[in-house]
Amino acid sequence: MYVRLRVGAEAYALPVENVLEVAQLGQIAPVPGSGPYVLGVYNLRGEVLPVFDLAKLFGIDRDVEPDRLLVTEHAGRKAGFAVSEVSDVGELPDAVQEAESDFLSGASLFEGELIGIIDVPRVFDALERGGAG
Amino acid sequence: MTEPDAEFLVIFRDEANERLDHIVDTLLAVEAGRAAADAIDGLFRDAHTIKGAAGMLGLDEVRALAHSMEDVLESARESGSFPTELVEPLLRAADALRSHVAGSGAPSADLLDELASRRAELLGGGEPLESPEAGTREDEAPAGPAPAAGQERRTIRVAAEKLDRLLDLVGETVLHRRRLEHQLGVRVHEDEGIADELGLGDRLLDDLKGAAIQMRTLPLESITGPFPRAVRDIAAAAGREVDLVITGADTELDRVILASMSEPLVHLLRNAIGHGIEPPDEREAAGKPRAGTVELRAEQRGGTVEITVADDGRGVPLETLERVAREGTTLAEALARAGFSTAGEVTELSGRGVGLDAVKTQAEMFGGSVEVRSEPGQGTSVVLRLPLALALLEVLLVERGGQVYGVPLGSIEEAVSVDGMLTLSGLPALELRGRSVPVADLAALAGADAEPPGSAAPALVIAAGGRRVAAVCDTLIGQEEVVVKPLGPLLETVSGYLGAAILGDGRIALLLDPSSLVREPGRAARRRPEVAPSPIGGNIQAPKVLVVEDSFTVRELQRSILEAAGYRVETARDGRDALDRLNRDPGIDIVVTDIEMPEMDGIALTEAIRADPQRSSLPVVIVTTRGSEEDRKRGLEAGADAYMAKRSFDQRALLETVEQLVGR
Repeated sequence: MYVRLRVGAEAYALPVENVLEVAQLGQIAPVPGSGPYVLGVYNLRGEVLPVFDLAKLFGIDRDVEPDRLLVTEHAGRKAGFAVSEVSDVGELPDAVQEAESDFLSGASLFEGELIGIIDVPRVFDALERGGAG
Repeated sequence: MTEPDAEFLVIFRDEANERLDHIVDTLLAVEAGRAAADAIDGLFRDAHTIKGAAGMLGLDEVRALAHSMEDVLESARESGSFPTELVEPLLRAADALRSHVAGSGAPSADLLDELASRRAELLGGGEPLESPEAGTREDEAPAGPAPAAGQERRTIRVAAEKLDRLLDLVGETVLHRRRLEHQLGVRVHEDEGIADELGLGDRLLDDLKGAAIQMRTLPLESITGPFPRAVRDIAAAAGREVDLVITGADTELDRVILASMSEPLVHLLRNAIGHGIEPPDEREAAGKPRAGTVELRAEQRGGTVEITVADDGRGVPLETLERVAREGTTLAEALARAGFSTAGEVTELSGRGVGLDAVKTQAEMFGGSVEVRSEPGQGTSVVLRLPLALALLEVLLVERGGQVYGVPLGSIEEAVSVDGMLTLSGLPALELRGRSVPVADLAALAGADAEPPGSAAPALVIAAGGRRVAAVCDTLIGQEEVVVKPLGPLLETVSGYLGAAILGDGRIALLLDPSSLVREPGRAARRRPEVAPSPIGGNIQAPKVLVVEDSFTVRELQRSILEAAGYRVETARDGRDALDRLNRDPGIDIVVTDIEMPEMDGIALTEAIRADPQRSSLPVVIVTTRGSEEDRKRGLEAGADAYMAKRSFDQRALLETVEQLVGR
């Protein structure tokens, strides 16, 4: 099962087991000195959650500011991903192509559209190294 | 030798017994032939830990026994075998250790001899090797008064994480209280009943917090036990006469901080003796008492503990002090840096520096600071400022550019107004009691963009490591004790913050690290250098492909396919980006481009490449979802070498085409 979402106009999906919740993107305190893809930190019920702008991380142009927050988790690490739209939750056909990417595990074709499958552990590792690819 | 502290003996016994339990279990497993492959390593660690702790507490018999166990185990590890005949004597040694740990051990000379000969057998059956530790046993036959054996103390061992959790919860409760007050707002003042209950709650919460912090703290004296002996030995080896004076030994500190400061403090003592205190004759000639004094002093100041190591020795030479002043740095920085340099610096300074640098790094890791003061001929003192408890921090909250920041109260000297600002050599500064302090915008120091502050804006005079800065902000919100929350592993590469705190109104305040605020040039150097992801299959000789594609997913797929086939891959998001890259990197061997892209499309890119005489022969492959004959014609007319549809993601076709064109 995957959560399907949009970053700018592009379609992506995240395995549901990495998604804790979806929320409206609320007030975020910027963290000066961090990378351009770091939106800041968000108060998630008393927890300090780092929030990353997926469009900036992936280098995607977009017309409108992101307004949805995906709270993701893997092996005790948590992060918020700011995205343009969370479409729905559902199955995806098997990947048409696997990828050795810093952020994606591969891609799948769904309703005639290519959907990038976000690999949360890989994204976390890349963020922990301090940068986008 | 000093009498071991009763409280520490209790802790040591608990830990030693736990280790001994583990040793016995493991030995029995070895005997039964069901031990894990790394069993010997575990045994070695256990014996080693007991030895170390016993050494610190001056329990020589325990240390000697643990040491000879360690020797036998090490020899077994080196010889690559663990004969089961070793189990029995080791078990007996463990039993003997247990009796000694309990304070009722019998002399163990025979056992030590036996262990030494076992070891010799392992090492090749030669002469029984006399372990140096075993040699010390004669002079310790009566191992001093049995250490506090009968003194039963009611203690329970609690996992440190549970205490941390408790303190965390207390912090959360404090936070909840703030939120509640925030919600109640003015009603607090209108209803006496509510005000009374809140007042009572405040006091209870304070007590609870105090109790929780106390569980995490230990007195300084819990680590100073071995210091007098260490000072005696260091002084004797250096030919100095030194009195060690310890004051404020009952000052409490977070045990995590305390545990990690033990070694740095010995460094500082060693420095004070070796590089501070003069030889007795020199002192006498200078009119000083023959014996120098090294003072270790601790005192609590609010949420901060100050630990000072002061000597009455020769001090840092005047020319060094002058040079430091000229360079506009601090003595602590200069000395710590000298520890690293190999040439040009006086060894005297570098000697002091090595230890000081370790101390400074350690203190700063906890949000603390180090200051060094010295007067030639009179002595040197090193002042460590450390937080009392790691999880709670007294801060002053300020607002700048719409963002709330917390600055540790311990680092703030005063709050001033900047209307009387002057300019010193082009830089704004404040004159405070005859001393000039540089002025900087807090937003700039933190690395944020903000409108310039107002004319009579408040400024905080922040001091750390002997440096000062007056940081200008918009408003001072007030003092608050906050729970420090880490920014977490994903923001680990961002430096300059002690963490973040959640405020009563739900906003997040970033907690600024004073030592990085006072460090010029502010924020520019604060971010750690970015670690570029290592190129996958980065063969230097492999042809380099430039993938031009606006969809991130397709870009990553193509990159992945090409890299897996051994190519080096660069990517660009559109035609213009691609031309930039081609200009910057003449080593690109082939371009694979999409057609439809913003800014400059694939057709225009191909035409631009063909129009450049230097690139007229650079192969270009157009990969697109558009498959009409018309498009194909346009692409080939623009000068593309190949045209393929990407609908199917046929990686074989892509690889074959690229391979053909780069002639591999």
